[in-house]
Amino acid sequence: MSPVFPMLTVLSMFYYMCLRRRARTATRGEMNSRRAIESNTRALPINVEIVQYAKEVLDFSSHYGSENSMSYTMWNLAGIPNVYPSSGDFTQTAVFRTYGTWWDRCPSARLPFTRTPPTFCSQDYVELAYEEPVYPTAVHILETYHPGAVVRILACSANPYSQNPPAEVRRLLQASCSTVRWEILWSEAPTKVNGPQARQFTPCIKQINFPTNLIRLEVNSSLLDYYTELDAVVLHGVKERPVLSLKASMIDMNDIDEDEDEEKYGCGMDTLNKQFSVVTLREWPTNGYFDKLPYELIQLILSHLTVPDLCRLAQTCKLLYQHCCDPLQYIHLSLQPYWARINDTSLEYLQSRCTLIQWLNLSWTGNRGAISVSGFSRFLKVCGSELVRLELSCGHFLNETCLEVITEMCPNLQELNLSSCDKIPPQAFNHIAKVGSLKRLILYRTKVEQTALLSILNFCSELQHLSLGSCVMIEDYDLIASMMGAKCKKLRSLDLWRCKNITENGIAELASGCQLLEELDLGWCPTLQSSTGCFTNLARKLPNLQKLFLTANRSVCDTDIEELAASCTRLRQLDILGTRMVSPASLRKLLESCKDLSLLDVSFCSQIDNRVVLELNANFPNVFIKKSFTQ
Amino acid sequence: MAKIKNLVLETISVHITLIFCFLLGVADGVGGWRDYGVDPSQFSGTLMRTCERLVKEGRFVPSNPVGILTAGYCELLQNKVPLLGSSTACIVVLDRTSHRLHTANLGDSGFLVVRGGEVVHRSDEQQHYFNTPFQLSIAPPEAEGVVLSDSPDAADSTSFDVQLGDIILTATDGLFDNMPDYMILQELKKLKNSNYESIQQTARSIAEQAHELAYDPTYMSPFAQFACDNGLNVRGGKPDDITVLLSIVAEYTD
Repeated sequence: MSPVFPMLTVLSMFYYMCLRRRARTATRGEMNSRRAIESNTRALPINVEIVQYAKEVLDFSSHYGSENSMSYTMWNLAGIPNVYPSSGDFTQTAVFRTYGTWWDRCPSARLPFTRTPPTFCSQDYVELAYEEPVYPTAVHILETYHPGAVVRILACSANPYSQNPPAEVRRLLQASCSTVRWEILWSEAPTKVNGPQARQFTPCIKQINFPTNLIRLEVNSSLLDYYTELDAVVLHGVKERPVLSLKASMIDMNDIDEDEDEEKYGCGMDTLNKQFSVVTLREWPTNGYFDKLPYELIQLILSHLTVPDLCRLAQTCKLLYQHCCDPLQYIHLSLQPYWARINDTSLEYLQSRCTLIQWLNLSWTGNRGAISVSGFSRFLKVCGSELVRLELSCGHFLNETCLEVITEMCPNLQELNLSSCDKIPPQAFNHIAKVGSLKRLILYRTKVEQTALLSILNFCSELQHLSLGSCVMIEDYDLIASMMGAKCKKLRSLDLWRCKNITENGIAELASGCQLLEELDLGWCPTLQSSTGCFTNLARKLPNLQKLFLTANRSVCDTDIEELAASCTRLRQLDILGTRMVSPASLRKLLESCKDLSLLDVSFCSQIDNRVVLELNANFPNVFIKKSFTQ
Repeated sequence: MAKIKNLVLETISVHITLIFCFLLGVADGVGGWRDYGVDPSQFSGTLMRTCERLVKEGRFVPSNPVGILTAGYCELLQNKVPLLGSSTACIVVLDRTSHRLHTANLGDSGFLVVRGGEVVHRSDEQQHYFNTPFQLSIAPPEAEGVVLSDSPDAADSTSFDVQLGDIILTATDGLFDNMPDYMILQELKKLKNSNYESIQQTARSIAEQAHELAYDPTYMSPFAQFACDNGLNVRGGKPDDITVLLSIVAEYTD
């Protein structure tokens, strides 16, 4: 620091550092809801700090628990902590659906989109609303099991409890995407946290210049050994805008980096939107060496740029503008990393470049009025003809019209992801049956009903990957399984997580009909009884099984494990959480026979204690044996 | 509220005060599970704690206590831990705004409402056969169909108005099997005022008296009387866990 700084700045810096230090060392003693704390000041105005727990969970991308349940569901993140400071696998916490890299290593794993910016690695998110908007000074995340998943914290300028009627809000939003702003308070790559012990995570957050009562956490669990569990998120903030928010960014070097990051994250799209149509590029006599390079080579170089960089590059000169607008650059396009900024205007400007698009990722985009049904429809009408893969996870703006447009405008569609699109009305799913070329369909946590699904299964005989996890509106899964066995002979992976009423009859039809099945998730299906022989039947008929989840099926027994050992030697992932009937001996047989086994979850299996796990680990070092605990 | 620990405590009770209603719950774990290596208090305890959590999070309707029981039972099945066991359950909700009492009872725990020295409402015992009450249960898979398991919908539910001064007594069968109504009423007559200490004292004395009678071999307890009526020639009390929850409808003071 230069000693030449004027006096005011020195005082400002001092106050700023006090405030930062205060945010870092906030203790658990302050965690009574809404207790006001006087901050220590010298000659500066008093700013009262408010401590709040989340009032409500507004939105999330996935969770482990059942819809309508209080166990392991995202709704547990609201309110005061129930478990912290204890560590362990408790029902009263918020748990996401996946962890580690296991879901990337099974037959249903999807190829990633290229051009994902390295700063974006979020896999799941949850949005929390608080009672009072504040300027955040600290965010405490109480993690009670396998901490370390949070990679990003964002704050929104919109108040979810505001009185604006939705139409008015949408009009305002359409005018300018900056009416609803998301600021990144903190962001970091995932780091390995050793051990499952509970902790309070308080990252250093950036100061923002608007009050917020809507916080979003984004998580990445890929480095974790087991499911992460969150208990509460505490928001500390002040009602009055802190005096020195502008000066602050000049002082801390870290802040400067983050601002630049923010620039890259946000402004690219704004630039695209504002300047695209009024491009007056200067004519230079030559483009230097670029004139000598073949067209394809420049295209190749550009293919390594992220989309915002591509937009910026387009403004440099006419040659590069031409290159950057070439539809060949937009064959695979993922707008998910920019979910906060994508709106109808963005889609409009991208339209002309996306005429040849084959893979489109609009997951997480368009919420809170950013994308309208007409905007989306217009885009697909222009760009849908070559579309092969469409990701629309958590697309809450989607309605029946959108699905109709998708199915009409995308005749070549092979992959459709509608994961957690819980606002789509049940009758909308009937349209999907029109897409006969579908190979992958993800309907996790949607409201699809029996008739629509039967129709889809009837007409989409090319289906290889199907996810019906937590589809609670389906009444008779045996019928569904029967239809699958009859019509979807090419099925390779099937997710029936929490399918409440499937029985041995459905399993039998599935096993006989879908001989190519490599992956089957029957977690939390309580109506399957081992005594009917359904699991042994499964094992015998499906020798190609690589992944089998029988989570919380309390009837899985030694006979089943032995049959798996005998018939399913290609098994890589097995989850038998919560059964009392499996002994160490049958597990040994399984491990000896299935040489490719890499994941074995024996949590809450009463015959498999820690001693057994240690012994198995010693003899079979290539297998990750998971044994969760409560304390 | 008074609890007498007899054998291993199997009965669990909860009481929750919210702004608009007051809730009581009692669950009596079925002891027979001990023979199978299962701790009988685990089921009843988890059930009541789950109901408590449901209520605290507002996931209930005061006029539908059976709903609380059903939701609580379903949540038990959502636990990763493989719970086993069974218990009766009795839930009583006092709705402050409508001055109505809503109750749900499954099994042989129950409640009495006493007004002016007389029983004006009581729960009915639900028994399949002698000494085998209705019960919520989670059985090990090999015992499915053999172990008694009643659905939460089978609970009796009643709703009625209450007045100031009404005494609501909720208890497990350990009380009702050992102490006939007139004895309970006698004890309740001694209740002079509605402050916390007197109620606590009365609850304690009822429970203690029941406990003494339980071990009296010559005493003709209600349990023995019922057995005789069913052809079993027995006398004496019935040793059991006794849980008594006593409450009085009083003016709401902040």
